Amino acid sequence: MDKSGLLHGVWVFGDYRNYFQNRVTLQLIAKGRELAETLRTRVTVLLLGEAVHQYAMEYIAHGADIVMVAEHPDLRCYQVESYTNVVARWAEAFKPDILLGGATSFGREFFPRLAKRLKTGLSADCVRLEVDPDTGLLLQTTPAFGGNLLAEVVSSHRRPQMATIHPYVFKELPHKASAVGRVVYPEIEVKANTQVRVLRSRRQQARGGNLEDAQIVIVGGRGLGSREQFKLLFELAELLAGEVGATRPVVRAGWADEERLLGQTGKTVKPKLLISIGTSGALQYTTGINGAETIIAVNRDAHAPIFKMADLGLVGESSAVLPLLLETLRKRI
Amino acid sequence: MNIVVCIKQVPDQPTIRIDSERMTLIREGVESTINPLDRVALEAGLHLRGRAGGQVTVLSMGPPQSEESLREALAAGADRAILVTDPAFAGSDTLATSHVLARAISRLRPFPDLLLCGMKTIDSDTGHVGPQIAEELGLPQVCGVNEISLEGDSLVVERLSDGFLDTVEVTLPALISVNRDLCPVRSLALGSLETAFSQGNIARWGREELGLSEEEVGPKGSATRVQRLLTPASTRKGELVNGSPRLLVDRLIGTLEALGLLDEEDG
Repeated sequence: MDKSGLLHGVWVFGDYRNYFQNRVTLQLIAKGRELAETLRTRVTVLLLGEAVHQYAMEYIAHGADIVMVAEHPDLRCYQVESYTNVVARWAEAFKPDILLGGATSFGREFFPRLAKRLKTGLSADCVRLEVDPDTGLLLQTTPAFGGNLLAEVVSSHRRPQMATIHPYVFKELPHKASAVGRVVYPEIEVKANTQVRVLRSRRQQARGGNLEDAQIVIVGGRGLGSREQFKLLFELAELLAGEVGATRPVVRAGWADEERLLGQTGKTVKPKLLISIGTSGALQYTTGINGAETIIAVNRDAHAPIFKMADLGLVGESSAVLPLLLETLRKRI
Repeated sequence: MNIVVCIKQVPDQPTIRIDSERMTLIREGVESTINPLDRVALEAGLHLRGRAGGQVTVLSMGPPQSEESLREALAAGADRAILVTDPAFAGSDTLATSHVLARAISRLRPFPDLLLCGMKTIDSDTGHVGPQIAEELGLPQVCGVNEISLEGDSLVVERLSDGFLDTVEVTLPALISVNRDLCPVRSLALGSLETAFSQGNIARWGREELGLSEEEVGPKGSATRVQRLLTPASTRKGELVNGSPRLLVDRLIGTLEALGLLDEEDG
């Protein structure tokens, strides 16, 4: 089917749902470009759905060389089994070297199944991707043990080399209207899936807010002293368009819902910025925040363990810092 | 309804020690527990058994000491426990692990109606093994479920996925992975734990019992290889600032600006 070998290179799964907020595909195209240039190959984006070809031009404008489109009424909803069938057939036919996808809820369900069908490896939630200059292999760096360690993973003998990546790990390229690319419609065979039927689907915010996707997360610990002080974090989150997280003692004290719990028995977050206020830095908590790009900690105790993992540690009383911070931000925004 | 719950024993505290030769974790001497979401899956399985009857089998792959977690599951009310263990399984990635577990499940008679597991584990945190077991066994899957109800030969489940609350009907047999909202985990009475520990009813299956070749398991059966482990903590700048609340707030706002998270002040 692909005698020219045009489609061998780097593939990116195109997730166009909620296009204007969900930038992960664009971020992966940018990373894919970089890898493809090193490997002297091309970036192909996979686009599956019903009447979705309009996104193809967007992906090309953001750096894709080729967009491979499958349009079918039964592909309208993101569905693991039918999507696996289509992408697995394409991968077997065109033999991509690398396949990248966003670590969205759908991605977490879809890519493991796809990797298994292709009998290839998959690394989860990569924080770094680069080509090994000696071997040409994709070096996939992924957090291990709650982010306490990073594992550099390679898949040396199976293809494609697959990785999922959390949103905002990479930066998208600017939109370039003059970009030129190719849109192809390879053959597909779609079977409707009757074993899994979506009865209803309605938009809903997670009860703990969008903690796992938030760019800014503000976490409060017991050091805040009271429920009233903790409530100020919601005001701060609103001003910064962030989300509020909590430590186990705070949840136990009833200042915050279980859904906001971060750490070993709660959620793992990977925001651009995390502000940790009145938290001592217990390991059970910090395993959930290791993936934050930048951490600012506020604590009255200069020896609190949280400062060891902060980029910026502010030693002071949160009861003084927090109201002043809110007042200053309100004046500006 | 015959239910299999896959559980993994994980380190309770991330007290990490690494075998630098084999690039794997040294599990000896680390306090262990059932992966919290697997514990939720077990609770869901027991709850379904309460309504539909049948048996709950707990299945775990891991080193011999994973038996403790299986005993804990028996104490919580599981009917039987199987430990899939073999030195040859060490160093399996998710592809090889799911192969071993799928093989073990395929040996069960009668074949289970429902497979349950946690959506992810607190140690490796990939969430791969559940969907990969489903794929190998040719079963439908629904991941990250927070509500399960039984309706005839199907399950109706709810899950939050990428900002949508989906209600999904899935035909049995199927694999369901659960998230933490599903149901609260009961704490165990000491008596039941003691009884479970005194009874030796845990089946052990190794590579040969499962009819697996050496090439199918461990590093040989794996597609990925960890070639290096790195410690990330050192990348933090660790700057400590003392001073008045005003000074601290100014530093914080300066950082927000530097990260492009706040528009810089005009003028």
